[in-house]
Amino acid sequence: MNEPLKILIVEDEALLAMELESLIEENGHEVAGWATSLAEAQQVLGQVKPDIALVDIHLADGPTGVEVAEFIRGNDLAEVVFLTANPKRIPEKFDGALGVISKPYTINGITAALRYLWEGVRRPPPDTARPVGFDLVSPSQAYWI
Amino acid sequence: MEWKSSRDAGVLDGAGRPIVGPGGVDAFAAAMRSNRLAMIVTDPDRDDNPIVFVNDAFLQLTGYAREEIVGSNCRLLQGPETDAATVSRIRAALDARTDINVDILNYRKDGSPFWNALYISPVFDEHGHLLYFFSSQADVTGRKDAEQLVYVEKERIERAVEERTAELRERTAELESALEARTALLHEVDHRVKNNLQMVSALILMQSRTIPDDGIRQSLQAMLTRIEALSTVHRRLYQSDDVSRFDVGDFVRDLVGDLAQASQVDIDTRLDLEPVSVPAESAAPIALIVNELVTNALKHAFAGRDGGLIEVKVKRGADRFRIEIRDDGAGIGAPATGSDGFGMRLIRSIARQLSAEIDWTPADPGTRVTVDMPYPAARAGAASNRS
Repeated sequence: MNEPLKILIVEDEALLAMELESLIEENGHEVAGWATSLAEAQQVLGQVKPDIALVDIHLADGPTGVEVAEFIRGNDLAEVVFLTANPKRIPEKFDGALGVISKPYTINGITAALRYLWEGVRRPPPDTARPVGFDLVSPSQAYWI
Repeated sequence: MEWKSSRDAGVLDGAGRPIVGPGGVDAFAAAMRSNRLAMIVTDPDRDDNPIVFVNDAFLQLTGYAREEIVGSNCRLLQGPETDAATVSRIRAALDARTDINVDILNYRKDGSPFWNALYISPVFDEHGHLLYFFSSQADVTGRKDAEQLVYVEKERIERAVEERTAELRERTAELESALEARTALLHEVDHRVKNNLQMVSALILMQSRTIPDDGIRQSLQAMLTRIEALSTVHRRLYQSDDVSRFDVGDFVRDLVGDLAQASQVDIDTRLDLEPVSVPAESAAPIALIVNELVTNALKHAFAGRDGGLIEVKVKRGADRFRIEIRDDGAGIGAPATGSDGFGMRLIRSIARQLSAEIDWTPADPGTRVTVDMPYPAARAGAASNRS
């Protein structure tokens, strides 16, 4: 993969983080780090500079995923994609995130989302169609549109 | 009584002359004496505004003898339950020399109370000098009792309505909080189911990565795809307001999109999905059948080609609906029993569960599979809830 994406995983379920790590690497990208809480995310982000952060809403210290996203966007550290079983948890007008991947996602869904995100970040705008299960938080927010 | 003078009696004709009957009898005094309405006259020029005239009707009404009451102030009629505010209003009217018309609780000589419809009016001479107060009394106890009864009833009903309203408000609040708790529980359970499905997929995926045997790995991959078909259905849950029903087209679109985007060859999908709503519990088996058929077509129809078309239709009928999956591939027909034994058994078992008829026909080019089934009824006792 040319110019692979560096991806931060913010997910408190170890098994799901492992799965994401495996999928990210199989698709030729790099895992920049793994955080399970707001504090950990802030700490990791002091050391690495990812392109994308995949952020679960429910973390080890509660539903702090939105705060993680606010921290990331407030400091312009990366693009944020939420991973959530409850998309309604995302504040209606949250304009910081690029998109939402609804849980339960599929292997194909993540693979397609990674391809779409790579195109969006490295070769904007993306060529491929927006994958099943990947929603833009607000269609006008994708910066390549 | 002795009037202050005939002229001063305050009963004058239109020309200002006192009206005096034949023989000098004061016609108005005579009329007052014999009137059935209780009447009195008081003299504000004398100390404490005493009663100077009473008629027989007044004596009958109050039980006093004439000599007992003439010379007294009218407050003699007041008693323990007489309303002080009403007395003040009367005093104010007397001071202001105006008419007043009030109901006041008075007492007879024997102490028995009665409601008195009291009318008092000042009598002036032609120079505007106050001569007397004229007053009439009527016993309106019956009317007051009726008013009181109406008042008490009204109070009672208003109180009952208030109590009932408060009860209903309380009950509504209870129901709202119960509904809120139930909705929160539903979302919590939904959240856990979704997370657990994700973990099941993760477990199978991670395990399959470690298996060197191609055949076993492919079986695990097929299993993963089936679980993901269930995940795809479940992801749709709670995305609409009605949690008890699914639109077949909605999850067929997701399912076909998900499978096609992972294909090794370039797959063109064409969807023609009429709305067919099914109960939630039928969504998973339908999704599993569609998953098997589409996976099968992707796996076998386009072998050795670099692209192809998958067309999926959902068509409504009167009593049944049809899902049609067509590829423009090699025309493989019905899969041989044994190629993927478990997949075929799955299809046949679920078809039986749904009373579905499945047919493979040549589409020229390719193969068409139709799944024809009755609209599933909601299971008896199944929740039909809106969140």
